[in-house]
Amino acid sequence: MPPALQNPVTLWLLLTAALVGLVYAFMREDLRWRAILYGSVLLACGVAVWPPFERNGVPGKIHLGLDLRGGIHLVLQVVLEDALNATTDDAVNTTRDQAARKGIQVASVSRTSPTAFSVDGIEPARVKDMRDVLRDFFRTGWEVREAGEGRLTAQMTELYERQLKEQTVQEAIRTLERRVNALGVAEPVIAATGNRGDQILVQLPGVTDIDQAKRIISRTAQLSLKLVETSAASRETLLSGTGGRVPDNMEVVPGSGSTPGEPVYYLLRREGLITGRDLKSARVGVDESNRPQINFSLNATATDKFSRETARNINRQLAIVLDDNVISAPVIQSRLGADNRITGRFSTQEADELAKVLKAGALPATLKYQQQLTVGPSLGRDSIHSGVVASVAGLSFVVIFMVVYYKLSGVNAVVALTANLLILMAVLAYSGANLTLPGIAGVILTMGVGVDTNVLVFERIREELHHGKTVHAAITNGFDRVLTTIIDTHATAIIAALFLFTFGTGPIKGFAVTLVIGLVANVFASFFVSKFLFEWVLGKGHVEQLSI
Amino acid sequence: MEIIKNPHFDFLGKARYFIALSALFILGGLALMLTHGLAYGVEFSGGTQLILHFQSLPAVDQIRAAIDRTSPGAVIQSYGEPSQNRVLVRVAQEAPESDLDAPARAIREELARSYGQNPVLESSSEIVGPIVGAELRQKAVYLTVLGLLAQLIYIAARFRGGAWGVAAAIAGLHDILISLGFLTLFQYEITLNVIAALLTLVGYSVNDTVVVFDRVRENLAKRRKEPLPSILNDSMNQTLTRTLISNGTTLLAVVGLYLFGGPVLRGFSFTMVIGVLVGTYSTVFIAVPFVNWWYGRQATGAKAARAA
Repeated sequence: MPPALQNPVTLWLLLTAALVGLVYAFMREDLRWRAILYGSVLLACGVAVWPPFERNGVPGKIHLGLDLRGGIHLVLQVVLEDALNATTDDAVNTTRDQAARKGIQVASVSRTSPTAFSVDGIEPARVKDMRDVLRDFFRTGWEVREAGEGRLTAQMTELYERQLKEQTVQEAIRTLERRVNALGVAEPVIAATGNRGDQILVQLPGVTDIDQAKRIISRTAQLSLKLVETSAASRETLLSGTGGRVPDNMEVVPGSGSTPGEPVYYLLRREGLITGRDLKSARVGVDESNRPQINFSLNATATDKFSRETARNINRQLAIVLDDNVISAPVIQSRLGADNRITGRFSTQEADELAKVLKAGALPATLKYQQQLTVGPSLGRDSIHSGVVASVAGLSFVVIFMVVYYKLSGVNAVVALTANLLILMAVLAYSGANLTLPGIAGVILTMGVGVDTNVLVFERIREELHHGKTVHAAITNGFDRVLTTIIDTHATAIIAALFLFTFGTGPIKGFAVTLVIGLVANVFASFFVSKFLFEWVLGKGHVEQLSI
Repeated sequence: MEIIKNPHFDFLGKARYFIALSALFILGGLALMLTHGLAYGVEFSGGTQLILHFQSLPAVDQIRAAIDRTSPGAVIQSYGEPSQNRVLVRVAQEAPESDLDAPARAIREELARSYGQNPVLESSSEIVGPIVGAELRQKAVYLTVLGLLAQLIYIAARFRGGAWGVAAAIAGLHDILISLGFLTLFQYEITLNVIAALLTLVGYSVNDTVVVFDRVRENLAKRRKEPLPSILNDSMNQTLTRTLISNGTTLLAVVGLYLFGGPVLRGFSFTMVIGVLVGTYSTVFIAVPFVNWWYGRQATGAKAARAA
């Protein structure tokens, strides 16, 4: 949309002025007023639409859809359970901490479903204290219940669950927007879609490397730096020191060791020193031996915490965990500051993509691909070609027919059709709506309806002439009588098109947009402009014969 | 120039034969749909569709031999003009949610391996997971039904009688059923574009019906003494030239779209060609006879229609 129209006040003023002008001009019988009005509308449309398509590097005003210019269309599903699990896990950890802090003995705290957790084996004397602690901490969003001997359960409320889901989708959309910006795509579309609202539509016009796009879009990119307790070549040996079970505040994460292909398991502190949220920036760099690495800097609060913790843990290993995988686990040599680096076995491209996703932030949940559409640029070009050939063929036929059948009045119809097409294109260019291949079909169909309007009027005029009316009376009656029919036919067609627009997706929407705009433009062009032309050409004088 | 001078056809008198013909078409179409099933395009059925652009003229047989190794039962056909070197490959096999690309990648790799002399320059793909497909199918049906219902209500309100709205809606439904029958007969797939065409043809059919109804309304007001059937017949005759010219030009435009619009729009334009023909037909032989039958059941005929 042009910048002037993004200001709602300007837009409103312009629309009001246009409306007032229209109403005023329609009320006047005066031909001169109408000439000025219609002329300026069409002139404005011409300016808005020129040049319509890209030529010699000058971008066209009409935005082409994915099917015409090539690109990628993806539908992703947000795995909302991830976000619910994470929230419930947080609550479980808080509960554990609080129980320890208040000195309440509990056997276990565990998540029982994505939206519920339970505290078991609470010492009988302290059940009430534990309940108060829970009620205090989870005052909103959770329902805490006593469920038998020494057992408390907490269930997420439906309202909170719904809010969480909405937040998750919104956050995922914002993250994707940042990532797509990093890819440098012009005019991307990123929006919630689907019946349940848990799907995201991503359209990247002009992008052809689908693999890269998908890597950047769907990588969860959860980064955290965690202290290493021990590491071993297998899970069993790793846990032999702790009696085969993972301690409450620890976790086991796999990673690649010093020799490729041999996995290493790390026992890590569950709480990270820093996470992806603490990053201020991330970019690609090279290390001393020219291998790619990722440089990142931390924000101020995280820097304080990080330098305090690293100072306290010198000579221990710090694992860099990305999406549940240890990338590397360097030994802390000294107190670390705001600027740090991640080294690993990256290719330059991997490092570059990783820096982009780290900078854009992590996704709140896993994304699954549901639908993927790629259109190669040459297929798009051929489609434009066919679309244009078909339109030109259809239009030339209509033009020839109208002029042969209705003679001079037919010329009038051709002018009206051209005006209709011009307005339709101008609105498309102005509103930034995409012209798709079904959209071109919509244009052709609009032309069909436009011809129909003209034919209705002309046939009516002929009928009136047969009944012995004068030329002026026949024209006036013809237009007047047909107006109700035109209103009814257009209203029903617009109702159908609005349904398509509101509920349809992708190509159907593009088709509906052109149809609605075309129908409205048609009333203006084939009725009002056409009527004006008749009156203007015939003038005020007495006319015996009408060329129809 | 005039196409027909003062036409006086007895459309209503012949209506019963055409209604029988319509019933035959609809039943035949339904039988065809039930036995063969509707061929859903990849966006509805789920699966993978690739449009591969080869460097030189592709040998479909060799491609089929190569692809059969990884994905047996794939549909392989040349796409668009032969000179464009394009081949369409469709695999019905469900793309796994964890790796939607897997079937497409397998095909591309197999082609590079055993048909390497003619490399793929560009590949366009459409990969649809099962959930999206089912949702879209459901939505398409809702769209059609709700769209028709909204038009029915508008017409009923404008003509002050439910019969008019119902007549237009029945005609629209009739057109959809017949078009679906033809789509099945000629083995076109139901794609999103075809759904758009079906919804448009409903709009077009209703549009055509409304033009005649408007004339009927005008004549009912003017000629208060005449019986309803003769008014209906006259109204259709009076609008006949318009019907022929308007629908004729639109028909030629969509035929042009069918011939020159390229392979992406073929299903769409085929549906529109059928739709324009059937939409015109259904006004004269379905919608108007329905109105006649409805008000004819009431003893007062035209009076009831006028009161409406």
